[in-house]
Amino acid sequence: MLQLRSVTKRFGTIIALDDVSLDIARGEFFGLLGPNGAGKSTLMSLVAGLRAADAGTLHLDGAPLTAANAASRTSLGLVPQHIALYPELNADENLRIFGALYGLRGADLRDRINTALTAVQLADRRRDPVKNFSGGMQRRLNLVAALLHRPKLLLCDEPTVGVDPQSRNAIFEYLQALNRDGLTIIYSTHYMEEATRLCSRIGIIDHGKILALGTLEELLTRLPFEEEIRFPATAATAPLAVELAALGELATADGSHRFRPHIDCKLSAFYARAESHAVPGRLFTSQRPTLEAVFLHLTGRTLRE
Amino acid sequence: MRPILVLLRKDFTNFFRNKAAVSLTFIVPFAMIWLFGVIFGVNKKDSGPNGIPLAVVNASDNPAAATLVAALQAEKSFYVYTKFVNPDKSTRPLTEADLRSMMQAPDADFRFALVIPPDVVSETTFGLHLKIFSNPRNEIETQTVNGMLQKTIFTTVPQLLGQSLQARAKNFLGDSRFKQFNGTIAAAVSDAFGADKDQVQRDLEAGDFGFGQITGPTQPADRSLRRLDAPKDPTSNAPPTSVAQPAVAPATTGAVDALSRIVRLETIQVVGADVKSPFATSIVGGWAIQFLLFALSASATSLFRERDAGIFQRLLAAPVTRAHILWSKFLYGVILGIVQLMVLFVAGRILFGIEVEKHFVLLVLVCTFAAAACTSFGMLLAALSPNAEAAQGLATFLIMIMSSLGGAWFPITLMPVFIQQFSKLTLVYWSMEGFSAVLWAGQSFFQLLPILGILGGITVLVMSIAVWRFNRGKIFG
Repeated sequence: MLQLRSVTKRFGTIIALDDVSLDIARGEFFGLLGPNGAGKSTLMSLVAGLRAADAGTLHLDGAPLTAANAASRTSLGLVPQHIALYPELNADENLRIFGALYGLRGADLRDRINTALTAVQLADRRRDPVKNFSGGMQRRLNLVAALLHRPKLLLCDEPTVGVDPQSRNAIFEYLQALNRDGLTIIYSTHYMEEATRLCSRIGIIDHGKILALGTLEELLTRLPFEEEIRFPATAATAPLAVELAALGELATADGSHRFRPHIDCKLSAFYARAESHAVPGRLFTSQRPTLEAVFLHLTGRTLRE
Repeated sequence: MRPILVLLRKDFTNFFRNKAAVSLTFIVPFAMIWLFGVIFGVNKKDSGPNGIPLAVVNASDNPAAATLVAALQAEKSFYVYTKFVNPDKSTRPLTEADLRSMMQAPDADFRFALVIPPDVVSETTFGLHLKIFSNPRNEIETQTVNGMLQKTIFTTVPQLLGQSLQARAKNFLGDSRFKQFNGTIAAAVSDAFGADKDQVQRDLEAGDFGFGQITGPTQPADRSLRRLDAPKDPTSNAPPTSVAQPAVAPATTGAVDALSRIVRLETIQVVGADVKSPFATSIVGGWAIQFLLFALSASATSLFRERDAGIFQRLLAAPVTRAHILWSKFLYGVILGIVQLMVLFVAGRILFGIEVEKHFVLLVLVCTFAAAACTSFGMLLAALSPNAEAAQGLATFLIMIMSSLGGAWFPITLMPVFIQQFSKLTLVYWSMEGFSAVLWAGQSFFQLLPILGILGGITVLVMSIAVWRFNRGKIFG
């Protein structure tokens, strides 16, 4: 559905996107995961036609995506990072304006507004000025304002910033329902929990480059370990820790060791060494690695840095 | 105490980081003080109005009339026109017949004219007869011109008044008794004050009664005269040792007051004579346009609020272009401007009787062009400024400058001539010209076209720069 080929975007001497190529299939829920300043919003703005790429091409359903191509933009919906609404106007008036910009009018527009407001539980507040809404309510309205014209592709640029857990959950459920109904979504975030929960495929972006691309399982296989084992950093476990350094990655922080065995290291070998140092098995906790670990592995830093 | 100092430091740090606040606090007031100082000639001895265009028609062959024309030409308050320029660039003296049509023209060079008629001094009536043709569209300017004219007449040609007295006396007494009358007075003056009798008689017959010595502060006392209270010494014609200067001031005031009652200034209003509420009609346009500029500048800065809220992202992701956003803002400003101006004029109609309905269509037309020019100004401010605060600061500064230079606060003729040149660069000036042309002069559509063309030209030029800047600036991210 969406193809990006060798897309580059510079702002002065800063390369915001560096030779990015990407394919998004119809019906995908694609997550763009990266820290602040990684290039997520720039990529979104290029797809939305807000900026022009310095190099490379973007196509939506085979048609070039450019600022001048107004027709292609009717296929897109953008949920900006900010609350892009008119605060003095009420919810109904805001939606009327944004719907009318896509050529909607009359009963059709009214029906779509009713449906949208009901879907995000704002129907009973439709006459209230947006400035009187809570942050979560404003976020929900911000989301449906991009959906009135029923786009084929929805671009969500960190749509849950500053949202309370309840509203965030409501937004997630609504987006998942839309995706189940066939809407293709590109969702940028720096919260790995959101990407993990929502996205069928994830691209990890940093310094303007797509570092890894795939499903969660595919990304995890890029790690040189399959599990992560934690145990207390005490005098009793110190000899074991020294030996484990040869079998994988060992990091110590906050009074505990974190051991990530090499892919060829068998867990039986690990437990045999623990037994030989009389470290009881109840001290060990093991867990599957997360996207955070993938990002750390790929970039050498955490998502929050 | 320490928390107070910490918070105080924080406030000053914030203040000095905010360039708009710093400029509004220091630079704008400084600039305004300087500008007003220049405008009103602070620290200058010759402050006051400059170069008010005045046509002078001298139809009299009286030598004193020529002296009056020369005095008016030397007066810095006036720029005097005495010639009519023919189409072939040749010139001839202006005539009274020229004045009315010239002053009613849309691009009239002058709004005041003084006519010295052949009968400036008459044998049948006492006093001077002068005519003033005026287009008094600004009350302050009109009062200033009248005052300056009277001052010039009384201080430079008081002999005209003397001539009037002489002519009236001659007519009343007959030639022989008139000569005898002057001879008697001359002998009495000579006897009392010691001057030459024949010279005094010649002065009397020429109308020179010595008014110049009390109305013209720069004229020295006749040194051949002695003080009345000085001891009479028939053997000595020595000049007086001093002249009692303190007596001059009250005498001047008294003389001018007396003279003003016997100089007949026949005022002929060439333009706006049938305007019912002249003062309100002449000032409402300037204030209306000033408030319109403030309103439209505020609305233009809404571009920054929409940008900062990310609304432009949403709009531009829809089938909406930058041009759509800019032109919708422009049209919004124009419509708001027309409505605001018309509301103010209708309020002027209700409160002060300004005849809006008489010129409704042309007034709407001028309001449209003025609103367009003002809106383009607001758009340019938004295009040039990095943020809303800077735009507001710049707007306040420029609106005050344009309003004062453009004549919204006081007549531009009160300013030095070199500053008056800048008035025509302001949209306030041309908007006021438009309102005045319709409401005051009652001009037709075709007569209005030059002003509309200039306002339209300002709009096109300023909007072109604004759009160019918008496309290269940061307003659209």
